[in-house]
Amino acid sequence: MSERKNKLIQNLKVRVLNEPYLIINIFFAGVILLIFAYSGIFSPERDNYPVACIHEKLTGQQCISCGLSHSFSLIIRGRIEEAYKWNIYGMRIFLFFVAQLILRVLFSLSFLKYPDTRKQRIIVDCIGSGLMFLITFWPFIVSILAGILSNSH
Amino acid sequence: MEEVKDNKGQNLGIAALITAVITFVLAVIPCVGLIAIIPGIIAIVLASVGLSQAARSSSPRGVLLAGLIIAIIASMISFSQIFVAGKIAQKADKWPNNIQNILNDVQDNVTKQLEDNNVSIKIESNGNKVEINTSANKKDKEKTLEDLEGTDTQKSDSIQKNDSTRKHVVVRKKK
Repeated sequence: MSERKNKLIQNLKVRVLNEPYLIINIFFAGVILLIFAYSGIFSPERDNYPVACIHEKLTGQQCISCGLSHSFSLIIRGRIEEAYKWNIYGMRIFLFFVAQLILRVLFSLSFLKYPDTRKQRIIVDCIGSGLMFLITFWPFIVSILAGILSNSH
Repeated sequence: MEEVKDNKGQNLGIAALITAVITFVLAVIPCVGLIAIIPGIIAIVLASVGLSQAARSSSPRGVLLAGLIIAIIASMISFSQIFVAGKIAQKADKWPNNIQNILNDVQDNVTKQLEDNNVSIKIESNGNKVEINTSANKKDKEKTLEDLEGTDTQKSDSIQKNDSTRKHVVVRKKK
């Protein structure tokens, strides 16, 4: 029984190592989990976040993403209203990361289960994730573009 | 049992793609967008090295190219943020000059007001009192001058332009 289990794990390991898509998915899932861990470890009460806003330090002006770490920490602790006060876009970015974590697991499982439609699945994943990214980060992208246009002349 | 494929540059391609995507997410967040240029450059280097390895062994280049393109776009976004932040910081540097100008204006106003003030000095010693009243007012000075000279002065300020320099001239006419 244990020999069969070992063989299965070994087989899965080899399959995963042979597939870049699966490695990338595992890495992204890990990064997202690290973001959640960061939000959970550092508390908004202590205000002990190691990453400060570089934009604010340089220019002295708050940027559109200021308060995002506070917002994430508050969402993880279930204080949604306070999270909105810290950063209005905190919730949608948090939901994007949650959705991406779920999608990484689902796409990886379907990739292993249905080998015939792998290419189509990767294309759907790339387009879907790209659109999700654009919708989620659209206000940030707009602010960057506005900054470039207003400072170019 | 399957064997692990030995595609040259493939591992570098995976690393480049992961780094590039993380760079892209970081680059669009203004708070950390400025430092995204570092992983962006790392991703470009990884993808370039991977591409050169893949070219030698003619192995697949899809992941490497994807990593390189995403890394370049992410680095450009990050660089644009450095440019924008630099411009804002440059504008912010003008503030000290503005403050200096305001301070100079205030200083000039105070000096003008002091010039038009009356000064009164009182000295008291052993029951003797000495009182000196003097005025720094321009009109008072003119009146004193008239009394002393017994003349009527007519003041007219005119501006003469001599090689872009301005001189204020007071012309006195005798009666």
